[in-house]
Amino acid sequence: MQEGKILGYRRINRDLLRGVFENPVKYWAIVLFLGLVVLFAVGAAGFMVNRGIGVTGLNRPVFWGFLITNFVFWIGISHAGVMLSAILRLSKAEWRRPATRAAEVLTIFSLMTAVLMPFIHTGRPWRLMYWVFPYDFSRGIWPDIRSPLVWDPSAVNTYLLSSILFVFIALVPDLAVIRDRSSGIRRIAYSVLSLGWRGTPRQWKLQAIAGILLSALILPVFVSVHSIVSWDFGMAVSVNSWHSTIFAPYFVIGAVHSGVSGVVTVMIFMRWLFGWEEYVRREHIDALGRLLIVIAIAWFYFFAMEFLFGIYGQEGDELATRSLQIFGHPWGWLFLTFIITAFFFPVPLWLFRNVRRSFLWMTITTISVNVGMWLERFIIIVPGLARKQIFTQSWYTYAPSPIEIMIVAGTFALVLMLFLLFAKVFPLIPIFDIKEGQILTDEIKVGRRRVPAVIREE
Amino acid sequence: MATHSVLALYSNAEYAAEAGEALDNAGFSKEDYEFLTDTPYPEGALGERHSSHRLYVFPFVGALIGLTAAILLTSGTQLAYPLVTGGKPILSIPPMAIITYEGTMLGAILFTVIGIIFESRLPTTKKHIYDDRITEGLIGVVVDCDDNTVDRAEQILTQAGAEEVRREAA
Amino acid sequence: MTTTADNNRDRVQITVDGPELNSRMVTEQVSRDFFNVTRNYRWLVAILGSVFVIGIIALILRFLDGFGVSERAQWGYYSAMFAFLLITAGSAPLVAVGLRWTKNHWRRPFSRVSELYAAVGLLTILWFLPLMALLPPLEGRRSLWVSDEFIGVPLWWDFFAVLGLVVCGLTLLVLSAIPDMAVLARHGDDGPRARLLRSISGFWRGSQSQWNYHRIGLTALGAFYFMLLIMVQTMINVDFVMSLVPGWKDSIMPAHQALTGLQTAIGLVLVTTFILRATGRYKDFIPMESFWSFSKILLALCLLWAYFWFAALITFWYGRTPTELNVLSTFMFESYRIPFLLNFFFSFLIPFLILIWNPVRKSVLGPTLAGASVLIGAFFMTIRLYVPAFGIEDVTGHTLKAVQPAILPDVLDIFIILGGLAGAALIYLLASRIFPILSIWEVKEGLLYQRVRPLLRSKFLVLGKPD
Repeated sequence: MQEGKILGYRRINRDLLRGVFENPVKYWAIVLFLGLVVLFAVGAAGFMVNRGIGVTGLNRPVFWGFLITNFVFWIGISHAGVMLSAILRLSKAEWRRPATRAAEVLTIFSLMTAVLMPFIHTGRPWRLMYWVFPYDFSRGIWPDIRSPLVWDPSAVNTYLLSSILFVFIALVPDLAVIRDRSSGIRRIAYSVLSLGWRGTPRQWKLQAIAGILLSALILPVFVSVHSIVSWDFGMAVSVNSWHSTIFAPYFVIGAVHSGVSGVVTVMIFMRWLFGWEEYVRREHIDALGRLLIVIAIAWFYFFAMEFLFGIYGQEGDELATRSLQIFGHPWGWLFLTFIITAFFFPVPLWLFRNVRRSFLWMTITTISVNVGMWLERFIIIVPGLARKQIFTQSWYTYAPSPIEIMIVAGTFALVLMLFLLFAKVFPLIPIFDIKEGQILTDEIKVGRRRVPAVIREE
Repeated sequence: MATHSVLALYSNAEYAAEAGEALDNAGFSKEDYEFLTDTPYPEGALGERHSSHRLYVFPFVGALIGLTAAILLTSGTQLAYPLVTGGKPILSIPPMAIITYEGTMLGAILFTVIGIIFESRLPTTKKHIYDDRITEGLIGVVVDCDDNTVDRAEQILTQAGAEEVRREAA
Repeated sequence: MTTTADNNRDRVQITVDGPELNSRMVTEQVSRDFFNVTRNYRWLVAILGSVFVIGIIALILRFLDGFGVSERAQWGYYSAMFAFLLITAGSAPLVAVGLRWTKNHWRRPFSRVSELYAAVGLLTILWFLPLMALLPPLEGRRSLWVSDEFIGVPLWWDFFAVLGLVVCGLTLLVLSAIPDMAVLARHGDDGPRARLLRSISGFWRGSQSQWNYHRIGLTALGAFYFMLLIMVQTMINVDFVMSLVPGWKDSIMPAHQALTGLQTAIGLVLVTTFILRATGRYKDFIPMESFWSFSKILLALCLLWAYFWFAALITFWYGRTPTELNVLSTFMFESYRIPFLLNFFFSFLIPFLILIWNPVRKSVLGPTLAGASVLIGAFFMTIRLYVPAFGIEDVTGHTLKAVQPAILPDVLDIFIILGGLAGAALIYLLASRIFPILSIWEVKEGLLYQRVRPLLRSKFLVLGKPD
């Protein structure tokens, strides 16, 4: 499994801090471009606040459209990160080392972006405060904690805070590395951030325990976040195809499917941008590819169960919604695209070792998964709403307005831009983790063969 | 009372571990010296002293605080504004359980992070003897010693194969 | 990988403080226990056999009480026992299958312990036969099969699914054990058992290509078994529980059953291995670390168990349609409150409270107790699901109109359940006399890839990771 060379520490520092200490033109060019897209999106959102949500394609009874779909999508992406790094830390997978930090950072920024979506979607963002936080003492009106829309912020806030702290704790030793390589005001800033880290055995021991303990604590939070997002839908009895008990794990595994794919895409991207050929190697995407096969099949099982039990009820309305999702225009085409891009195109390809070890193919397949998973959320949310509801009495088909499309495009640029800006200040691959991996590498001779081995700490 | 800190830098972990042994043999206690590395060596690999910690208490305390706060918050808001929605009782337990769960986990995680920083004896403002090259792969051995032992310590560290030995007044 | 007995004479440690072992010791210990039938073993077989016979007598009396679709209410506990056998013993081989995929070294001593449970499938399929006459017709009710004109729905599909599962499991067991049987056939005297082993494994020479096919076969059969099991559990669950309750639509329930199966699989394997160790067998080859690794997985599964349960609860609680409220009252909070509480405590709360403590998790007894607890929990889970489902008289329509009263077990039910448990244990014990309970080839293979080596001033376990 381990194909890497043993590298000198000086070389590791230099390579992994390339993002912090060097200023390649392509880096700034990309950031500038992304910044412009974000700017347009901010303009679009501003326009929407100014004119009201009439500028979107929403109308009775479809009140949730592109922005909410995008919210669910980014919450989903945010699940990869911590899940991947936490599970791999707990299972002590050696190949986690170059992936953890990037995955966690992706979590934080996609989560922040996700939170923006319902915020913008309300059209009156400043009022959100009254609905979510219990602080309106003067009027004595309190949020209704029986509403899933109030569960949501409690889970997302917990997850966001926890992931930021998780990343920070694991950053401290690396901040000390930057501190020792810089001077002037920069040195002072990193000295403060690294809290006076020296690398004593006690500090390292707690760092190791922290990685495991925090992973174990964040995993249950991560599961709860997307479950609660799914309950935003699943609690509603009146919208057909939503009220299903399997929604929570189905959303979570879907999130993991799209999120881990997102991490692979991002890892390959940063390998290209920062020239980390020695660190993000074929063995890593191979292992992630194998993990993705398992995740994708598990996801498909939940998808199938959700669908099967939609039909099982044999209720007219439900069957009509299902047939609208699959055969109705335009949902039918979207459904076909979704199921092919999310499952039937990438998964059979991943079965081949050569695909799993090809950076190009892994980029294509993982992006394909995310195209599919975006559509999946769209198909879950909108067709169910488009049919006549008990209280709305009307039919409607939804199409996004340019404003919504601009905002959604802006979120993709935003996440990537924040990710790159992070890389300007902090290393995206944990330096100490890579160095530890080199110490723990060993070899066992079996007959004539040398088998790579790792030293296991307990 | 320690008056001096001596820092020796080794390019090889084996030498650093030897220096530690030599210090043990010369009568220094394990409390008096410390290894500085830029990599987590497996516990016990350098022959360092065993350090105990109470990190596991923190998440439990945090969870308890988070749990209490969340129960008070969820029951308080419902009782303060007793509006029946969707035929669900005031003080509905399943939704309360969700927010209480989040509160508990948040408390546990916040306290764990505080615990990690606290138990690592961070942040420090005190200026310790240190060298920038430690994060480049050199392994440091820091010995706290008084006026009588400082020369002896320097000698031991040098004999173990140090690249460089420095002393500072503590 | 070739692992013949003699190409690896040098001794290795597989735990830092453990004894030095070599592959010859594995073969010797296993063949000694395998051919030596102790007094305790005979006693155990006799006791289990008698309980099993009593169970059969109770079953016959139950048949005399009444049998058929209209009498199905009194067969609820019997069907729960079937589900329990299917969930626990049916899932147990997955421990070997799953951990073999992830190429763990610590799984090695547990593989055969888990695969041997495939033998219990013989009892499961027999136990299923009477159930086929108890299922009401599909007319007028919801079913997984959409239309009742489909050939053989639902019974024959269920039957062949269960049969397929059992056959697949047995094939997996035999295939996995062939190299070990070949080794043992050479070690035993010329008794009938040695002759039997020789006739099954006579073709095995341990050539490179044979090992290759062996590996591929185990992987393929394992994958097949896994898919079959998930499918069987879904089918049985919907046909024998959900579709008997008008209006009950619970998409997570089959997945919850499958999850409970995984939980109990680990529970069964832990308890069985604990008993093996406690009777002084293979202690050196089953280090404490293995229990510890299982405990982490078990903890995660217990949390998932509560999560799946809550996902169903909150959806029904929030939906508040009459069926949903009646289902909650019947299956959880009123009629079957006691089995539900036992289920919840033993499947989640007790193992959770045991396993969150680090020192407990890092022991042999702690994980075993948690494992035993999830077994008890799963037992009450099958009771609180199958008994009420079998007790509902009118299965047609789209709503459950009232909370169903509880049906209590009578003496016959208790003896039938005890007989079933004894029968399962009996089959397991007998099977362990044909297939050695410690997987010789896997443990030997493990000795090739594990070393204890010094790093500077301390010793660590080094694990080889072949591709």
